[in-house]
Amino acid sequence: MQFVMITGRTIPQGSAVERKHSEEYRKEASTCHMHPVDMMDLELEDGSRVRVRGKDQAVVMQVSAAPWLNRGHIFVCLGPYANHLVTGETRSTGMPDFKNTPVIVEPTDDTVPTVAALMRACGGCPYEG
Amino acid sequence: MRVEDVVCPFCGCLCDDLVVTVEGEQVVSVENGCTLANEKFMGGKRLGHPIRRDGDSWKETTYQEAIEATAGILMDADRPLLYGWSGTHGEAQSIGVHLAELLGGVVDNTSTVCHGPSILAIQEVGHPGCTLGQVKNRADLILYWGANPIEAHPRHMSRYTTYADGFFVTNAFRDRKVIVVDVRRTESANIADEFVLLEPGGDYAVLSALRAIVRGRGDVVPPQVAGVSREQLFRVADLCKNARFGAMFFGLGLTMTPGKSKNIRNAIELTSELNRHTKFTISPMRGHWNVYGSNEVFTWLTGYPFAVDFARGIAFYNPGETSSIDILHRGEADACLVVASDPGAHFPRACCDHLARIPTVLVDPHVNATTHLSRLQIPVAVTGIDAEGTAYRMDGVPIRTRMLYQSRFPSDAEVLSRIYDVVQREKRK
Repeated sequence: MQFVMITGRTIPQGSAVERKHSEEYRKEASTCHMHPVDMMDLELEDGSRVRVRGKDQAVVMQVSAAPWLNRGHIFVCLGPYANHLVTGETRSTGMPDFKNTPVIVEPTDDTVPTVAALMRACGGCPYEG
Repeated sequence: MRVEDVVCPFCGCLCDDLVVTVEGEQVVSVENGCTLANEKFMGGKRLGHPIRRDGDSWKETTYQEAIEATAGILMDADRPLLYGWSGTHGEAQSIGVHLAELLGGVVDNTSTVCHGPSILAIQEVGHPGCTLGQVKNRADLILYWGANPIEAHPRHMSRYTTYADGFFVTNAFRDRKVIVVDVRRTESANIADEFVLLEPGGDYAVLSALRAIVRGRGDVVPPQVAGVSREQLFRVADLCKNARFGAMFFGLGLTMTPGKSKNIRNAIELTSELNRHTKFTISPMRGHWNVYGSNEVFTWLTGYPFAVDFARGIAFYNPGETSSIDILHRGEADACLVVASDPGAHFPRACCDHLARIPTVLVDPHVNATTHLSRLQIPVAVTGIDAEGTAYRMDGVPIRTRMLYQSRFPSDAEVLSRIYDVVQREKRK
């Protein structure tokens, strides 16, 4: 099902922003907020996992009901999960389209990756210290 | 030890009324701070020593080795990118600009992915802004557009707007009207007197409609503009025109959506129109605590506020070409020094892929997403906690942050000075 992904700050994201290896940060940054009626259409419940596909990439997140969103929109707080789906194209403005990304959301049983795993997928080497 | 009037180094509000209790090298309590401030002072776990990549693992290294290696990486590069800067003090930012000039590299700060478009618009049509003190004491109408201060700047409303009594606004909660414009019903929208819900990407059209109404051409406005009714647009325009002093604050909801800098230009021009009727100002809600400072420091050193390219031997500025996202997306940078920032978490995937391909060095107190993409990380003191330095509040007011205890970590300025000295020494050979 097609959605428009909106991003923004949240208090839990800001609180854990200097602890990006923490479970608190992973959970907040990988939560896909969705209108309850859209969740019903996709047969999802709170905590169900979804694969969110952007133009080039996909990432697994967990869903949370958000009656404060319009139908057809998802909200993911700014961070590595949302940015995994944003393209680097700026059309010569210097700024990617962080807040208006068309995505496709589908249910999945796959697990939500950690931040370190996402960075490994980028070619990095996780530091576990 | 109890320290009063401490400045919070988290967001652009730079709240300067915190009371912090310190025991040894540990902050044990924070008074007056928001949740974000409490976490900033008490929550972070520092990286204890410099680390370097060794194949598929990490090893501890010394500061001297890490600094020499960083200088070597930067000198070996043809197109080094020096990115970040918004989470450190002005003195360190200044050294960063000089280092970029010495290397012939690109120096860019995080406004490239936040209010860069706002700066482009301000360069086109100016900035009818004011200090937050003016807003607190005079404004009877506050308009938050594409901004959610309750979550991003939690004390903005209590220190300067909705809940802050001022000299001419003695009962702020009753006397100040608050309008929120957003694409979702945020926490801030819930306490607004008027909430305007628009469709994503509809900001430019709604701003244009408001300009037409304020200009006296409401007849051209259709029944609906980007999901907003004509009636509500007229109501909002009337609220703005009838205010004694209006203050618009805009966030990344305007800079990151289609239209980008043109959205901001339109908002500034709406502000200009409103000044035909009353006093109205507009200001960006700056995110990182010293991102405004990075623009100030870059500008007084190079003439340009971000995305400054020294490859020609002189400062050159062309956002869209010399900005970090574009340089990384094109695969152009062949080394990157990241200071006080986390592009691993906040850059698009393709840019992170490139940061992992090239030698990236991170100067930051904490392990963050960029750590995993780097070859080296040098931990430093946190400015405002165990290092001091100058920062600029979101309204351009410089404030000196304080050092609460003597740190065992060097400051950003110390580490960067040592890197600069090594590069200068080698270049003179």
